Amino acid sequence: MSCIDVNHLSKSYGSIKAVDDIVLSVKPGIVFGFLGPNGAGKSTTIKLLTTLISPSKGSLKILGIDAIENPLEIRHKIGVVLQQPSYEPTLSVEKALEKYGMMWDVPKTQRKQRMEQLLKDFDLLEIRKKRNEDLSIGQRRRVQVAREFMHDMDLLFLDEPTVGLDPSARRKLLDYLKNKVKTGLTIFYTTHILTEAEYLCDEIAIIDKGKIVTVDSPEALKSKFGKEKTIKIHLLEKISKICSLLEGISDCKINFESGTNIVIHSEQSELVLLKVLKILNDNEIEIEDLSAVPTNLEEIFLKMVRENESNN
Amino acid sequence: MNPIIRLVNRNITISLNPGFLIWQVIFPLIYIFVAGFAYAPLIQNVPFGTKDLDYPAFLASGMIGFNIMNSTLVSGIIIWNDRRHGMFEQIMSGPFTRSHYILSNICTIGIIGLVSASLIALVGYPVFFESIEFSLITIPVIVFGAITGSVLFGSLASIISTRLRSSEGFNVIINTVFLFFAFVSSAFYPADNVPEPLRTAFYLNPLTYLVDVIRAGIFGNITEFIILEMLVLVGIASTLFIVASKLLTKLDF
Repeated sequence: MSCIDVNHLSKSYGSIKAVDDIVLSVKPGIVFGFLGPNGAGKSTTIKLLTTLISPSKGSLKILGIDAIENPLEIRHKIGVVLQQPSYEPTLSVEKALEKYGMMWDVPKTQRKQRMEQLLKDFDLLEIRKKRNEDLSIGQRRRVQVAREFMHDMDLLFLDEPTVGLDPSARRKLLDYLKNKVKTGLTIFYTTHILTEAEYLCDEIAIIDKGKIVTVDSPEALKSKFGKEKTIKIHLLEKISKICSLLEGISDCKINFESGTNIVIHSEQSELVLLKVLKILNDNEIEIEDLSAVPTNLEEIFLKMVRENESNN
Repeated sequence: MNPIIRLVNRNITISLNPGFLIWQVIFPLIYIFVAGFAYAPLIQNVPFGTKDLDYPAFLASGMIGFNIMNSTLVSGIIIWNDRRHGMFEQIMSGPFTRSHYILSNICTIGIIGLVSASLIALVGYPVFFESIEFSLITIPVIVFGAITGSVLFGSLASIISTRLRSSEGFNVIINTVFLFFAFVSSAFYPADNVPEPLRTAFYLNPLTYLVDVIRAGIFGNITEFIILEMLVLVGIASTLFIVASKLLTKLDF
């Protein structure tokens, strides 16, 4: 059984289609990454999946429960960390965690234990007595994410949870989430930080302009769309005739930056590189540095979004 | 535990802070014991039904209604803060419905209104001790006034909080509306002796009705006019509650 089953789901605001006929299926026990540029429809999709808003069309089942008919039943079984900060300004960090547990009807003794554990896991011990309104953005975000683990859940929605976190806190959070998934939790994770998605997610969907562009594992996406490689060559000195020398090479796209940097994109990278090196050698042009950049998710993402834009 | 009780627990925790307690207890005490005795030589006796009250007793009983109104500001502040700090969305994505949220706010203001009224009644007791006339009828009238008044002003504060997002706008509107209610009412001075246009304005103000009902309960003066005022209070409170609930139900994310 899928954890999330979305069928032809749409959400319109007047004439604007925020989410346009999406179909999704998320398996249990994985991190499902939901990527897209700003305004692509990620947060609207999360609001639909968490039953905060109703769809204009289509159907969705969360944990096997119909989200339109039984939204409250779903909300008992999910956790949600929304993109916007949410906090009670006058409460201290520990009081905020404790009260949140109480709101979820977690027994008092369990609340105390979980709170202490989360204060440790999220490096909040030093600021446990500080009021939420006195915290930095990153600290507040950590409290917001930690708070969600005060209660049990089968499915967790995280909408850009690492916004405002420093690299170390970010990595700690990602590792914490990875460990949670090992215990059976399913995570629906939106981000536009591609390295995070690559590190954390088992499966990825890319959304743009309200439509799902593609869904697959990061590895499959790379092998499917990542044949193109980027070769960067830095010349020792500026060569004015370099453009005309390389213009005859086929099967590639060459960019010249400041006369000393050459950036080549090609699916036949080895062949193209041999041709370039031969031309440079024949013309006694010296190379200071050369590198071949492996395809990463970010390049695939940008390619997909660009293609989607040109198709539209 | 019932979801409404859990939300009430949370609401009370976030509302109780030193500033609020000072606002709720110290300010009314200053009114009762400073203004009450300072104005006593100017306003010697205030006729109320069959009784002649001294001004401190009149003011202390008025402060109970005034305090109920002030305490219900909490409702507006909770909603406004929840929207501003993302907690409204967070709560709605949890195991709660909008009805839970609305009812928990009503219960919170009811509790805070009652506690607040009791506190002022307790500290004001020495000044209206001689004229007090509690009975099996008058005490339920006071409780009725406290609850209806809480719902009325709580709903009004909720309506304002759903319409405004900026803190400046919220503070200006709330303070203006509640300042009008406080001073164009019979909480501080008797309605009978003021000029006619002002007297009419007094009776366009629900705080006047609330204060009259509370006074009637304390001093045992339940007349037909007081019963009419109770009915007016119920009517306004119900209307505002329905409007507030509708607006809260329609709040989008």
